[in-house]
Amino acid sequence: MKRDKIYRLLSHGALIFTSLLIIMPLLVMISSAFKNEMEIFDYPMKLIPNIMHLDNFVQLYKKFPLYIFNSFKVTFMIMTIQILTASAAAYAFSKITWKGREAIFLLYIGSVMIPVQVPIIPQFIIIRHLGLYDSHFALIVLGSFTAFGTFLLRQHFLTIPDSLLEEARINGASEFYIFSRIMLPLARPSLAVLAIFSFRYFWNDFFTPMIYLTTENLKTIPLGMSDFVTQYAIYYGPQMAACLISIIPVAAVFFAAQEFFVQGITGIKD
Amino acid sequence: MKAKMRSARKKWLTVSLFLLPSMLGFTVFLLIPVIISLYLGFTNYSGGFTLDFIGLDNFYNAIGNHNFRNALWITVKFAVCSVFFQILLGFCFAVLLNGRTAANRFYRMIVFLPVILSQVAVSLIFMLILNPQKGPINSFLISLGLAPRPWLAGAGSALGTIIAVTIWQSFGYYTVLFLGGLQTINLELYEAAAIDGAGGWQRIRHVTMPLLSPTTFFALIISIINAFKVFDQVFIMTGGQWGGGPAGSTTVLVFDIYRNAFQYFKMGYASAEATILLIFILIITIIQYRGQNKWVNYDRL
Repeated sequence: MKRDKIYRLLSHGALIFTSLLIIMPLLVMISSAFKNEMEIFDYPMKLIPNIMHLDNFVQLYKKFPLYIFNSFKVTFMIMTIQILTASAAAYAFSKITWKGREAIFLLYIGSVMIPVQVPIIPQFIIIRHLGLYDSHFALIVLGSFTAFGTFLLRQHFLTIPDSLLEEARINGASEFYIFSRIMLPLARPSLAVLAIFSFRYFWNDFFTPMIYLTTENLKTIPLGMSDFVTQYAIYYGPQMAACLISIIPVAAVFFAAQEFFVQGITGIKD
Repeated sequence: MKAKMRSARKKWLTVSLFLLPSMLGFTVFLLIPVIISLYLGFTNYSGGFTLDFIGLDNFYNAIGNHNFRNALWITVKFAVCSVFFQILLGFCFAVLLNGRTAANRFYRMIVFLPVILSQVAVSLIFMLILNPQKGPINSFLISLGLAPRPWLAGAGSALGTIIAVTIWQSFGYYTVLFLGGLQTINLELYEAAAIDGAGGWQRIRHVTMPLLSPTTFFALIISIINAFKVFDQVFIMTGGQWGGGPAGSTTVLVFDIYRNAFQYFKMGYASAEATILLIFILIITIIQYRGQNKWVNYDRL
């Protein structure tokens, strides 16, 4: 019994220690966003600044409102398109039987293994020839399909009994009717999981915007934030203010819909 | 007969329409580019309108090139360290947090929080915290009477620092993955093991670990693929496109590919590097699949 107590004490200690390790950097970021440049590196560090400075945010007002708008625009468009394309494909891969289905599905899913940098050069050439370079369309067409999302939705579609669809088929309903009127309403929870994953991924995506966007007015938040590292003079206050702004939307989604994140990773429903 | 053919044709049409939206993007922007990329590796393409077929020259050059070998070695170091700790920590925290108490739910949320954050934001935060001159970590070390460390600015410490930040950000993902695996384990097995006199460690060793091996296998595949893709952290934390760490100490393969393709326009050479990367990932994945029957246990009692 004594060993049990020691074990419990140790595990609580480890958990508290780890939580602090995770939370402290985030608290430093939040508090630095409200400090002036001098105060940020004061030691011992004050988590709550003496005076709340909003200066850092004011400094961002020239460029960041547009970056935020661009991020929302691109993220929402990709998210919507992915839900449509992935659910349609998942339907064809799970509820209609056809020759070659498994082979094409495997080819599609196998593509998840390919690092994004492998096709990047030809992708770049194709985007340039289509006249999409330096436009949001470049990001949107590249994000228009998702093998991961299709896999996720297919897993859920497979758990929905065929008998529900067969009845509609016997009554002469078209596949499109069954898909949009029966499947999609039933699949709402897994569509939400996909929406959240797409949102997080494209809201945070840095590599693709960096390759395809050069015009200042088109930049998304991560790309706008990356400019900080190449600037000659480094100001940490505005950087932390930008970090704070950039994580608020994902953090809000996370706190509101944590179970969906877990479902997306484990495929298990509580 | 005719009606049957018509219905078969109609089915193909329906299937095609359902798949078209995904497959169009997949074919044009992924499948074809991968194939072209494999081809470009054998050319001297430099971004213009002409290219010559130069056989295996790019591959020979890459293998003989110090930068490439260095980048490959750094990538392997990054992958081994980050994969090992992510899976170890993921497993340990899943075991600690398995159980539906309010405290566990809170800890799970904390552990998973960094996973959702952008790598750019996380990188900027740690650049402040690890600032070599005045950052809080070094101030803390000095206040303890210890020597400050260069962290990202030191050739010997930059890679380790980036690995640590990566682990900080992503071990929560593996925790959630393992927690999902733990939920499928039948609790009676633990009781049975306890009745047989197995202690806490023995229960983990002989019940949890074998039964979680399919999850571990999956986690291993995912984490290795992710490790070979690493880019954002290196780019941001070592100073953008001209970065790559002091003395090139954090120039991972993907960063080298990016720089050769988009800074130096050696696109043929960069494609050859990408092909080698792809072959590497393929070989590792095949080895893992081959080796899995030695340790992965798919019996779900």
